Amino acid sequence: MTEKRAILTARGVRLAPGASPIDFAIGPGEIVGLAGLEGHGQDMFIQALCGLHRPEAGEIRLQGKDGHVVQVTEFAKAAAQGLAYLPRDRRTTGVLGGLSVFDNFAIAALPDHQRLGIVDRPRLKEKLAHFTRELGMVYRSPSASIGTLSGGNQQKVLLARWLAREPRVMLMNDPTRGVDLGTRMKLYEVFRRLAADQGIPLVILSSEIEEILQLCHRVLVFREAGLFAELERDAMTMDRVIAAMFGQEAA
Amino acid sequence: MSAALARIPRPVAALLLALAIHLIGMALIRGFGTMFGIRAMLVLATLLAIAAIGQTLVIIIGGIDLSIPFVIGFANVTAAQLYGDGVPFAVVLPLVLLVAMAIGALNGLVSASLAIHPLIVTLGTGTALQGAVQLWTAGFPTGAAPSYVTSFVSIGGSIGPIPVPWLIPAFLVLAALVILALGRTVYGRRLYALGSNPRAAQLALVDPVRTWTITFALSAGFAALTGVLLLGFSGAAYARVGEPYLFQTIAAVVIGGTTLIGGRGGYLGTIAGALCLIELTTVLVGLGLKPPLVQATLGVTIVALVAIYGREAHVRELI
Amino acid sequence: MSRWLAGRAYLRLAAALFVVLLAVNIALNPVRFAPASLGVTIGLASGLILAAIASMPPILAGRGGIDISVGPLMGLVNVVVVRWLVEGLGIESPFLIVPLVLLLGLLSGALNGLLATVLRIQPIVATLGTSLFYAGITLTIVPSPAGTVPAWIKALAGPTSILPLAAVALLWLLIKRLPFYEQLLCVGSDDRAAYTAGIPVTLVRFLAYVLAGLIAAVGGLCLTGLIGSADPNIAGTYTLLAISAVALGGVSLAGGRGGLVAAVLGAADIFLLQTALTFFNVSTFVLQIVYGTVLTVAVVLNADRLRQLLRRRRHA
Repeated sequence: MTEKRAILTARGVRLAPGASPIDFAIGPGEIVGLAGLEGHGQDMFIQALCGLHRPEAGEIRLQGKDGHVVQVTEFAKAAAQGLAYLPRDRRTTGVLGGLSVFDNFAIAALPDHQRLGIVDRPRLKEKLAHFTRELGMVYRSPSASIGTLSGGNQQKVLLARWLAREPRVMLMNDPTRGVDLGTRMKLYEVFRRLAADQGIPLVILSSEIEEILQLCHRVLVFREAGLFAELERDAMTMDRVIAAMFGQEAA
Repeated sequence: MSAALARIPRPVAALLLALAIHLIGMALIRGFGTMFGIRAMLVLATLLAIAAIGQTLVIIIGGIDLSIPFVIGFANVTAAQLYGDGVPFAVVLPLVLLVAMAIGALNGLVSASLAIHPLIVTLGTGTALQGAVQLWTAGFPTGAAPSYVTSFVSIGGSIGPIPVPWLIPAFLVLAALVILALGRTVYGRRLYALGSNPRAAQLALVDPVRTWTITFALSAGFAALTGVLLLGFSGAAYARVGEPYLFQTIAAVVIGGTTLIGGRGGYLGTIAGALCLIELTTVLVGLGLKPPLVQATLGVTIVALVAIYGREAHVRELI
Repeated sequence: MSRWLAGRAYLRLAAALFVVLLAVNIALNPVRFAPASLGVTIGLASGLILAAIASMPPILAGRGGIDISVGPLMGLVNVVVVRWLVEGLGIESPFLIVPLVLLLGLLSGALNGLLATVLRIQPIVATLGTSLFYAGITLTIVPSPAGTVPAWIKALAGPTSILPLAAVALLWLLIKRLPFYEQLLCVGSDDRAAYTAGIPVTLVRFLAYVLAGLIAAVGGLCLTGLIGSADPNIAGTYTLLAISAVALGGVSLAGGRGGLVAAVLGAADIFLLQTALTFFNVSTFVLQIVYGTVLTVAVVLNADRLRQLLRRRRHA
């Protein structure tokens, strides 16, 4: 995949002093996984891609909505250019407790759905209905408190929050953690559709190798704050990935 | 019992409480339910409710504003002094509001960008402000408000046949705007988001520094407005006129259902809470309690009310 | 010593200020700081120092813990001792007054603790309520300054002024040896983690308020010695000053960080600032401006985020 087609690239990114530099690129329609043992750099890497963490060295570039390539240094600015980030641990970093399903959904899309500062509720309600169908969300009513939804449905609302912004690229940090099996399957379906039909590249950090094997076109395995191996589809097996996580080549 | 009480929406409960206190007052105090008495309470409650707009916003976002009493005093004295020196009121009012809002913006900016608790920041700036104002007027402020301001807030005022001063309908419009702003504007929704979960809100592209700055600026603005209105109400400037408003604005907000945790509540509750407080104060004064004892009783009552309604969650519920 | 200080970076500002202000004060008014008059000087500061120390435990306990009734409680102790005990009941003996004052402190601390930790009313609201309550009661007992105090209480502002401070310092050092202190700091840093580790969070926080009340009551006794009568209006500013002292000392309002030295240094700084300014005969209004500014600037300079921001700007 040529540089020209890449939507998000990383060049010479060092996550820690002395760590080996990482190069990365993702283009339309691709699903790339980030794997590794806990604390080996994949979390830092995905946050660097979003502009939430400044790496020791290196550059991250995003091809924005208007076609221009911008450097990713600050999350808010990157998000304005079409980057979306679904953080880990929805309880502390995602869900706005006490607020309604509608509010939780609409919060990131407010700037694009308002007139003179007043929220365009009808349009947002329509969008919510659309995503409710698309993602198969279950809730009593848009004005119900987010706390009344199951974990899986809450995660869907958070996903919809970002989809409502029509992102160029989506980065997701352990998106199916704490989610029931049925919702998980549904989310996989949604992810595949996003990549295949809408061409939105997805970067998924996952702690479940099964998930990565199912979804991803390739996987980056991290070891000691550096990239140990990048495995393509054909080379992705459970053994190889696990071995890479432990810093070994598999047979 | 507490659970059953908790199911009634707080603004309604606060209104019922205000009504109950009113009825108690009518039963215990001769001459309580007169038209004049009711008008007086309406005006006082309105003034409190205006001062409490800012406190409501600030508490929803998860902070607190202790500079409100000092800004009220600042606006009160500065407006009087300037108008008394011959500056036209059309200049005085926006000037006072702008300066107040600048101070408020500073409070919000410092608190949010440096992650300092607004309690300390607002206490510091407010105290310094009051000292500066008193220094300027050498402790003896002069001047008064223009006559139209006085009649605007006058208890004895009326609009044609309706026996309320223009303050009341003007306030109703203001209140409607505030409630609409909280419920329907981008700013309002962001306010609740930040109060509910600051980290998540930030990751959802809500700029905390900007929102906090705007919110504290608005709080100071409404406090300044109250200060100017109080000038019309009392006729003479007094740097410490805002002192009771520290406790009363917090109490009005909390009684009305907006908890100090943030992310919940609204302005309707604050209005009801303000009514409650003024009713309570009037009854206590009417019963012949001296100001210190009124103060003491208010302290006890507020704590009791919050104990029934607005308690925080136990640690185990936060895990 | 330097290692101890290095582990407590938050004290740097207060410590540096202390050295500067002490030098300035000694230069301006060497008599005041001569060994012979140290007793009186400490007597002037002891009320503030004790108010600052008293404010510490609830703040250390975290999650918005604070006690703004410290000042009004000191005022209440003042009028209760003069009007009720000395004038009313004719009690003058320290062996009766001191335990009664301590009891009052314990009870009021327990009240605050009950409201803020058992009933879980937000501490600012709870202590605002009790401060209004105490202020009201104080003004009702003694509407305007009056009365006299026994000689031994007056001596607390002079020759024996170091005694209450030493007693409280001793108490604090003893408490630091108890598991309670560790638990307090744990609860203040992360109450959820502390709870799951089995620490009785509510009890620890409750005791923090009791401790605050106890120390504040001692401060009230010292204040009584300083005023020499019952004055319902003096104690009002002590809350603001106590919180300023604590903030200046680098204590975080979020909890988990701070200690005796922070409170004492911060209070000493404010006292020295006060003394230096009054030497120049500045009006109380200027003093007020200074207090407010010092408070704001102190928290800004002590903010962790400031250091981060400056570091980032340097690297950019």
